[in-house]
Amino acid sequence: MKLRDLFTPESVTLSLEAESKDEILKELIQLLELDEKSEAILFKTLKRRENLGSTGIGKGIAIPHCRSLVVEELRLAYARKPGGVDFNAIDDEPVFNFFLIVAPPLEVSNQYLPVLGKVAQFAKDPEVPGLLAGLDDAEGFLSLLEERAP
Amino acid sequence: MLSTEIEEGSQLMNPELMTLMELQDLRAQHRALSGGESESVEVEQFNIDPTVAAARLEEVIAELEGRLSPPVLKRYRQIAPNRERVVVPVIHGVCYGCFVSIPTATAGDQDVHNQVRTCQSCGSFIYVAS
Ligand SMILES: [Zn+2]
Repeated sequence: MKLRDLFTPESVTLSLEAESKDEILKELIQLLELDEKSEAILFKTLKRRENLGSTGIGKGIAIPHCRSLVVEELRLAYARKPGGVDFNAIDDEPVFNFFLIVAPPLEVSNQYLPVLGKVAQFAKDPEVPGLLAGLDDAEGFLSLLEERAP
Repeated sequence: MLSTEIEEGSQLMNPELMTLMELQDLRAQHRALSGGESESVEVEQFNIDPTVAAARLEEVIAELEGRLSPPVLKRYRQIAPNRERVVVPVIHGVCYGCFVSIPTATAGDQDVHNQVRTCQSCGSFIYVAS
């Protein structure tokens, strides 16, 4: 499974508006285009996961993730926050790049963990943060995945 | 702006059903920290202490269980130990716990009467996904 195939242009934004951790999570959730009830549940679940320890893994990257019954298949979104935002990341630095990963409670194909690992690997590529900062549109993000996470 | 929308979403739902759905997700989080590959991802990539995190989740789970009414709690306790999904969606009239059609009356009643419903076939709590 290629990461490129798990994103659509609609699930990518390069201009998050939110300024706080909660608002960032909410804006990310909205990229998945769920119904309102599902958005509310997913927000609570992601927040509970963040309360166990930030998913900000350092170097300006955060990967909020959870399993939730509100999705029937693995769903991903990417968002960039120009200027960065405090996300209680492990290095205490602001976060610029957010990868949201939501998996159903049970998956036949078991893609969740391998995909989580692939996203973490992609994000930790030392050249990737600079390349993400230089993107002009969602298509550019998808091409970058194609190139760097084959 | 965004927060209002998402918080309104939670008000659309029967609070007890909302609690059951939260419990379902928390139980999935707890399982993820109880051994296996997902535990190692949380430890290695995200620096989580699985013992501390699991204990914290257990506290929240107990607190949420305490919010359920006695009949719902009773049913929950009956089904929770045996299955990974306590609440399942009903999509196009089909229960996603057992893939049996749910009578329209049962599925539709939920929003009208704002009650927690169960599937007559598999006993799971159901919610109507839109
Ligand atoms: Zn059923």
